[in-house]
Amino acid sequence: MFYKKQAIALFSGLLFCFTTVQISAQTDYSNYSKFSQRLKTLQSQNVSNSKLETLTTTVGGHKIWSLTLSKGDAKNKPAIAIVSGVDGMHILGPEMALQIAENILKNHADVLEKTTFYIFPNMSPNATENHFSALKHGNNGNAKSTDDDRDGEFNEDPFDDLNNDGLITFMKIEDPTGDYILHKDDNRILVKANKNKGEVGKFKFLTEGIDNDKDGNFNEDGKGGILFNKNFSYKYPYFKPGAGEHPVSEKENRALLDYLYEQWNIFTIVTLGPENNLSTPLKYNAAGAKKRVVSSILKEDAALNKFISDKYNKITGTKDAPVSTGKGGDFFQWSYFHFGKLALSTPGWWVPKVKDADKKSAKNSSINYLNWAKQENISNAFVDWKPINHPDFPNQKVEVGGIPPYKMINPPYNMVADISKKHTDFILELAKIQPSIALQNLTSEAVGNDITRISVDIHNQGLLPTHTEMGKKSRWLRKIKVALKLTKNQQIISGREITLVDSIDGDTSQKFSWLIKGKGNVTIEAGTSHTGIDTATVKLK
Amino acid sequence: MKINKNIFKSLLLVFLFPLAIGAQNSTEIFRAAGSPHNPKVQISFNRYYTSEGLAALGEKIADAHPNLVKRQSIGKSALGKDIWMLAITNYKKGNADRKPAFYVDGNIHSNEIQGGEICMYTAWYLTENFNNNEYITNMLNDRVFYIVPTINPDARNDFMKEPNTGSSPRSGMIALDDDRDGKFDEDGYDDINGDGSITRMRRKSAHGNYIVDPQDPRKMILIGPDDIVTTQRYEYLGNEGIDNDGDGRINEDTHGYYDPNRDWGWKWQPDYVQRGAYKHPFSLPETRAVADFVLAHPNIAGAQSFHNSGGMILRGPGAQEDLATYNRADIRIYDAIGKKGEKMLPGYRYLTVYKDLYSVFGGELDWFYGSRGIYTFTNEIFTSFAYYKKNGGGRNQTYDFDKELLMGDAFTPWKEFDHPTYGKIEIGGFKKNFGRATPGFMLEEEAHRNMAFTFYHAYHMPNLSIADIAEKKLSGGLKEVTVTIKNDRLMPTHASQDLKYNITRPDYVSISGANVVAGMLVTDDDFNVTEEQKINPAKMRVKNIPGNDVVKVRWIVKGNAKFTITVDSEKGGIVSKRSN
Repeated sequence: MFYKKQAIALFSGLLFCFTTVQISAQTDYSNYSKFSQRLKTLQSQNVSNSKLETLTTTVGGHKIWSLTLSKGDAKNKPAIAIVSGVDGMHILGPEMALQIAENILKNHADVLEKTTFYIFPNMSPNATENHFSALKHGNNGNAKSTDDDRDGEFNEDPFDDLNNDGLITFMKIEDPTGDYILHKDDNRILVKANKNKGEVGKFKFLTEGIDNDKDGNFNEDGKGGILFNKNFSYKYPYFKPGAGEHPVSEKENRALLDYLYEQWNIFTIVTLGPENNLSTPLKYNAAGAKKRVVSSILKEDAALNKFISDKYNKITGTKDAPVSTGKGGDFFQWSYFHFGKLALSTPGWWVPKVKDADKKSAKNSSINYLNWAKQENISNAFVDWKPINHPDFPNQKVEVGGIPPYKMINPPYNMVADISKKHTDFILELAKIQPSIALQNLTSEAVGNDITRISVDIHNQGLLPTHTEMGKKSRWLRKIKVALKLTKNQQIISGREITLVDSIDGDTSQKFSWLIKGKGNVTIEAGTSHTGIDTATVKLK
Repeated sequence: MKINKNIFKSLLLVFLFPLAIGAQNSTEIFRAAGSPHNPKVQISFNRYYTSEGLAALGEKIADAHPNLVKRQSIGKSALGKDIWMLAITNYKKGNADRKPAFYVDGNIHSNEIQGGEICMYTAWYLTENFNNNEYITNMLNDRVFYIVPTINPDARNDFMKEPNTGSSPRSGMIALDDDRDGKFDEDGYDDINGDGSITRMRRKSAHGNYIVDPQDPRKMILIGPDDIVTTQRYEYLGNEGIDNDGDGRINEDTHGYYDPNRDWGWKWQPDYVQRGAYKHPFSLPETRAVADFVLAHPNIAGAQSFHNSGGMILRGPGAQEDLATYNRADIRIYDAIGKKGEKMLPGYRYLTVYKDLYSVFGGELDWFYGSRGIYTFTNEIFTSFAYYKKNGGGRNQTYDFDKELLMGDAFTPWKEFDHPTYGKIEIGGFKKNFGRATPGFMLEEEAHRNMAFTFYHAYHMPNLSIADIAEKKLSGGLKEVTVTIKNDRLMPTHASQDLKYNITRPDYVSISGANVVAGMLVTDDDFNVTEEQKINPAKMRVKNIPGNDVVKVRWIVKGNAKFTITVDSEKGGIVSKRSN
């Protein structure tokens, strides 16, 4: 006993020595090189349960990592894919994905016996690097040179840091032709004047910069790049800035899809990104679901989404999430509408609603953020408006200020561990209810004349159906195969040697029976890649 | 035995080879109107060529005409074959990369083979007629042709070399799991009678719905509800094949299956919406190679793809849902070219895919037009009109044609075989090279007419010139320079789809050598209505130069220096002129 305690103390000491480096490294979000190092370290500490691969190297020279967690043969058990960094502004996503992986490997490795995890922590490494650069702005794209305003010139009008604070915020210009006014509850915030309420615009409200190409638009064609979350085929925003010249034009988009198409065992894709169907499930719309180009979640899948959403809200304890269902070209909607998988997405965090004395919260999201930041003592939540001289507005009062980029969609780092833990629990719940095919009630009886009747129930033990309603239509989800393996002197009198079953609902079964003539053993196999495969051997009577 | 045969063949080839190369003695030939009479490269256009055959012909043409042809591989197929492209123009005149370009390809559907030969005929015709025919010479002086005979070289070979029906593989050769059982291409066709084609299986059956035509044993007759049958009944058992995977079905997972013409990135839809779609837009290496090539060549203003069959000149939209993409201004141009095609290609009809054929997403012509603003047609080569040069011949005419004009070469007679599941059956039917592929003796004509149609289309790509430079003295040492730019062909420099989405940049009209004070676009010369361009007036940005029309640009310049005007259009090319 004493010995054991000593060992633990010694081990803790050692662990402390080892982890001091790591602890100091994890007081803030990690840039690309630090993040990559953390991934490699995690993998090297869990060699038998994990594999780290590079899907591709982006035009900007960053590697797209794929981290697989599994015990034994990864391909032959149901798998959960976790995709983050889909939006380059959402630096929380990659951090959550990494921490979820750490949690699983360190505290829940047993789940890897029956479930594989494919984790793609950062699909927008060029964009996320911007958060760690000397000049932070709302850049979301990869490193491809783009003509964002399609005028024939490239990158001719980027942002300009006019107040030299290393942040691209906003400009308000006093101008009677402007459409904006100051918000009555907080005069730091500008809102559009509502003519119907008798409001008259007093300001122009623009992003911080100069009209470098003198075309009348500000900052419309900077470094740009193509956005991972705008380059997919569902509702692809043709010819819009950042969308690319065609869907799936970018290396990282293509590499991820080509990889996902090869992993037949994936039953669900969890996106950690701007879209959210976990706080509030997608709504079924009969007209949209019946169109040739389907634009609504299908009926059975809407019910499934609600079932999972209830679990999510309970496990994570989150509420008041803003509604976000995808803007087109996004990965989340692709994963459902074009890939047919059980598609789940959450940003993981959003600004909590702050209630005032009357238990009311601000309707304006910026004001709510500022109230929350004040409550949490966040010091750099707002860049105060300060006048500057602007070459495009020589005789007007121009001020620069506003909420800095990244602030409203990423929490302070000290909150991330708790968010990741709750989301790990949710992911583990998904693994617990995953579709899982098993042979039940297997019987064999002699019929006489060398003939045996074999009966069995093909049971989906999981609470999730083997196929979403969309997945039943998709060629990219395999059917459940029920096959008999006979030897030479055996003959099927009744029943089929191979049967393909479209799908089996959660905790539901389907009966099978055969008449076999002959002696010896017959093997029955049921399932498919994403449900697991169960086998049993029956001795003929 | 086989070895001996091969040796004999090789010897024969060596012996005959000297005769096959080089032009014939000019005293031995007489020119037939419209055809190269003594070509440097001899090609037989009454047969088809494998992918290697097409590649070899392309190489010969390129070698024989180094000043007219640059041969380049634009990418590799799924099985690693080069996708060969011939870029044909007069390289001695102008900048080849900046001439208005016409893109042609064939054979996206592997069994739809004629496109390969039509492309090859076009390349051959252009090169062999250059400097012999003024129309062709001008065409190669002013335009460049990008010709890709096959964009599906893997499955073209499969169609020709492996047992297939006239309609298979259509797909490319990437294995797919068609029946979703976890296995790939595990139950394809089986050439039981060994004739190289997948024909049909029939079986004598007391309850069958067919009898053999007593006047023509090749034909089967469907028994009508009131017919009294006094002869042997038959049933059809589908295409030649066996149940290779033991799942109780035959030929349910053949090679492929996906459709390369559902893989293009305009309004693409997945397989459950659009059968045949592969993983995502341009998920196939072949279509991706074409897309990358086209994106890198914004000078392409017109395009043509060749399919078979049915005798159709098709334009988009492919899908009803995409109707709004095609607007009236562009449809007028499509109509003008398409209707001319109906005249040039007897038996062919000018049709719109979504309403006259089927409503379909992810097609090549839609991507070319919708995404790149390139006027594009797809021709469905060969029509039953061709059998006896008249319409409405019915199905029986194929049997007549086989007997009367092909000497029975197109049909494998029914013969008895043992089938592992069906027992005694009979196998026979039309071979894969009949029905869709043009018979040999008609192939050259079909290639020529389709080529002539693409020439008409290519001729009407924008053709720019600086028609006039007018100078007018103003006070204070200033001068007004008005330049008239003319486009004397049907197509504008920007299709209306292009204008709507700024697909290609504006045309630049620049003045150099002059001291520019102001620059403006003249919208109405008579009433002096102009639009000033405040920024960089020496390089005027003109949104479009319409077809059969002019655009006027005006500068106010200081001094009397000579100047040069340059018009630089992505799809219209570059022209320059010095002031007098």
